[in-house]
Amino acid sequence: MRFRWFHILLVFPFAIPFSAGCSGCNKREANTIVIVSSLPRTGSAKGQTDTMVNGIKMAIDEYDGKVGDFKILFQDKDDAEASSGQWTAAAETANANAAVNDKDVMVYIGPYNSGAAAVSMPILNKAGIAMISPAATATGLTKKNADNKDEPDIYRPSGKLNFTRVVPTDDLQGPIAARFIAEELKKKRVYVLNDNERYGEGIAKEFEAGARKLGLTVLGNEKINVAQQEFGSLMTKIKNSEGGPPDAIYFGGTTQSKGGQVAKDMIKSMPNCVLLVPDGCYEKAFIDSAGAGLEGRVFVTFGGQDPTRLTGAGKTFVEKYKEKYKTDPEAYAVYGYEAAKVALAAIKKVNKKDRDAIREAILGTKNFSEGAIGTWSFDENGDTTAQIFTISEIKNGNFVPVKELNGLKPSAP
Amino acid sequence: MLPLLADGNSGNLFWELLVNGLVMGSLFALIALGYSLVYGIIELVNFAHGDLFMLGAAMTYTLTALAVSWFGVVTPGGMSFAIVLGLLLIVPFFCGGVNVVIDRVVYRPLRQSPRLVPLVSALGVSFVLVNIGQLWIGTAPVSLENKAQLVSDASLTQIGEVPIKWKDAVVLITVVPVMIGLTWLVKFTRMGKAMRATAQNLVAAQLMGIGVQRVIASTFFIGGYLAGLAAVVYTLKIGRIEYQMGFQNGLYAFTAAIVGGIGNIPGAVLGGLLLGFIYSFGGGYSQGNWVDALIFGVLIVLLIFRPTGLLGSRTREKV
Amino acid sequence: MTLPSRSAIAGGVLFALLAVLPQLPLADWAIPANLLTELLILSILALGLNVILGTTGLLHLGIAAFYGIGCCIAGILTTSIFPFQTNFLVAMMVSAFGTALVGLILGAPVLRLRGDYLALVTLGFGQIVITVLLEFENITGGKKTLQGLFPPLLPFVSEGTLGRRGEWQSFPHFYYLCLGLLAIVYLGLGNLERSRLGRGLVAVREDELAAGAMGLNPARLKLSALAIGAGVAGLAGSLFAMHNTNTTEPQNSFNFNWSIIILAAIILGGLSSRAGVLWGVVLLMGFDKIVSRIIDDSLQAAAADGNAAFRLSNYRLMIFGLVLIVMMRFRPNGLLPERRGTSK
Repeated sequence: MRFRWFHILLVFPFAIPFSAGCSGCNKREANTIVIVSSLPRTGSAKGQTDTMVNGIKMAIDEYDGKVGDFKILFQDKDDAEASSGQWTAAAETANANAAVNDKDVMVYIGPYNSGAAAVSMPILNKAGIAMISPAATATGLTKKNADNKDEPDIYRPSGKLNFTRVVPTDDLQGPIAARFIAEELKKKRVYVLNDNERYGEGIAKEFEAGARKLGLTVLGNEKINVAQQEFGSLMTKIKNSEGGPPDAIYFGGTTQSKGGQVAKDMIKSMPNCVLLVPDGCYEKAFIDSAGAGLEGRVFVTFGGQDPTRLTGAGKTFVEKYKEKYKTDPEAYAVYGYEAAKVALAAIKKVNKKDRDAIREAILGTKNFSEGAIGTWSFDENGDTTAQIFTISEIKNGNFVPVKELNGLKPSAP
Repeated sequence: MLPLLADGNSGNLFWELLVNGLVMGSLFALIALGYSLVYGIIELVNFAHGDLFMLGAAMTYTLTALAVSWFGVVTPGGMSFAIVLGLLLIVPFFCGGVNVVIDRVVYRPLRQSPRLVPLVSALGVSFVLVNIGQLWIGTAPVSLENKAQLVSDASLTQIGEVPIKWKDAVVLITVVPVMIGLTWLVKFTRMGKAMRATAQNLVAAQLMGIGVQRVIASTFFIGGYLAGLAAVVYTLKIGRIEYQMGFQNGLYAFTAAIVGGIGNIPGAVLGGLLLGFIYSFGGGYSQGNWVDALIFGVLIVLLIFRPTGLLGSRTREKV
Repeated sequence: MTLPSRSAIAGGVLFALLAVLPQLPLADWAIPANLLTELLILSILALGLNVILGTTGLLHLGIAAFYGIGCCIAGILTTSIFPFQTNFLVAMMVSAFGTALVGLILGAPVLRLRGDYLALVTLGFGQIVITVLLEFENITGGKKTLQGLFPPLLPFVSEGTLGRRGEWQSFPHFYYLCLGLLAIVYLGLGNLERSRLGRGLVAVREDELAAGAMGLNPARLKLSALAIGAGVAGLAGSLFAMHNTNTTEPQNSFNFNWSIIILAAIILGGLSSRAGVLWGVVLLMGFDKIVSRIIDDSLQAAAADGNAAFRLSNYRLMIFGLVLIVMMRFRPNGLLPERRGTSK
């Protein structure tokens, strides 16, 4: 009697795949190319990544889902887990492995976080799959840097390049915040915090280096305990630093690593201090989690243009987005779109289902103007030549750009 | 990597951290009491208690959102005071009720089972509550202040150079009468006497005609009630809730209960305050993760060398 | 000739099924192949916990920490950042023994503790291990992980089919490697159960005081259980590192939740019965990783996507919790409990 019930229980898990598979809904046509995106779709980043995925879908729709002889299938994968509320190495690895094992996958758009990129790059590099990241900005992913002598070779076990990104790197973004504090805000004393992740810690270091060069006093560079629910004690400590509270705090981190809570606790504790945060906080979720009183107190840097400032093809993208999805795109939406456009252009050019050929085509993208952010190229490291930076403040619950900087200026679209 | 010592302005820093420690310690004490009461009476480590606290916070947020949708924008003042009172009335009852239901459904059938069985069940309940919290709150944290500013951010008063904020005062003002009320309940009421009797010896209490199942249910209710109170004042003070918040706070409070002597009410309060100080000073004087390690280290050392805690407890090893 | 016992049949059937699994058309069923390997690795981990909890009766709530230590040791030995750069075989052995050593050290203070206090101390140790792994990130990689782990499989075998860097880590080669190791661990632990040490562990579980009175040394037996369980968990950890080719973040992959999930798996399957443990892992983790994913995907394709209430994976913890609650209520001995007193 027990045996029978037990038997049924054992058969059950094996029956499900049969029924799901045999219904034929998983069969794919022969000439399908799969584009995979790996973004944090769970947790507070969902708002931002929703708009990015929409951007990718818009790009594919512009080709009507067909490039040359191939049908384009888009898979929206999640590299975040509910238990952590943000990306995890295990999820990102699983996405990378799944992409490698699926013979139809040609391009991997993502990830959003630099830490996730560090984890999946070696896997995808070995398999020779091209990666186009719309948001991972840590310097060491593509360039040699003083902090870590093993980067970027450790991400390229095959010796060839496969990683590209459509946004500029943190070795430029970090010092821009320092310059803003010194020249625009005219402040002198800074305290640096970071979230101990590849992106946050990296950009905090870049900021510190830039700040020291400009003669600012850096009172400390400390990592926070991201698992903590509030940072009252930390802010009390900072407030009682040698020589009084700092004029500014720089937090290298993201909304998901408690950027909003840092802002909230700082505002409560130090009325005269300002907060600078990098592009990992450039999303509505940050404004929501930081609470009230952000006007004139919080500034966010971003390696790109705010959607309200896009012109030409970019403006058209924003309008089409609003028309289709009835809501405003967030900052990275257009970069998701751009990454997809690069991928599709390369697939069209190669017109073969060959990972290596498509990878080479993507790396060789030069004077690309089919997208929405002007004309730019990938350089020999896989970095973009487009180097516009924005610094925004927060007004009425929205990002309002106050300064735009041009590195290598892309020509008008 | 290693904990750093903060330099400069140490005098002021110390007092501010002390106040912060007092406030956080009161919160831990409220939650620790729930652990202590339940353990005292049925020797169960209620792993789900911290998550009940989280559900209380979720209820606080939902009720506030509801109030705002009825009354419009709320700023600190008469209306917000009424809402806070309402929260303090409703949420603890909610948590107490949930706790009673859990006891009835999960733990009561297991009264005769070996000790590890209800313990493992409590782990299961913890997971279920966390999942409910995840569906209720969502995977992203939510901020109470986006709904309503119920307690002002300003300072109520100042002791020397150290500000005492309204939010801190709310915690302290709530905790003190609760402790007094609880002590009165346990010492001077019939129910309190029944609770003490059941905790001492369940069978003997039954023989004396005490309805132990009802006493146990009442204990769960009180424990839940306290967790609910803690949830309301925590949410008012910190302003931000996420579905994972029960685990860490729960473990801290549980350590507090052990430190003070589990099963011992004044011990739970003492333990809570001590842990609040460790939390505050640790956060102020060292970096990040070491506070966690320190608190768990304290837990382990106590469990190994002095499991009865600082004020001792009433349970004995039965052969 | 005696017929094989029920648990031997159950074990045999399972191994046969697992051996055949990669040959089925998994891609058509949209089952990502690497998830199957994870089932095997978690099975080994569960067998490790079973030695401590099922055989010896010690409620250990920190097994995931040993998993993490094994993973980090393997990562340290195989990453190109450090000079060791050993092959996998060496890394695996060092992980297993190293973790066993840590289990021994962490076990020494807890020997006098009973039931729930022991559980709480193991919980505390688990959390401290995570903190240590995070803080000493120059060695362990911490939150930033050690990545790019592509060691050769065996010593002295340079870039041939098996030695080719990374090739053996792909499906199905790695799957069969894990299956083989699982079989070795399974049979090895079976020998353990039948040995003098094994019987001593069971005696400690049944009645520690009586075992001491009979002349056994409960402290030494408990230490042995902790060391062996930790060692097996460490072995699983090294496989996890190879499977992911990076060490992953300690606070996400080796946390308290995972300790409880493995606990739920072995409680579901049957404490102390090795075959039961395997079935428990296959059922619970198979459901969690594979079946719920398939159901989610077909729900997404068919109905409203984006609606949280319809995603089965949002109910994951609740399912684990209910498994624990229901099993403790109705079948505390599990689905396939150990048969005492009959020939095994």
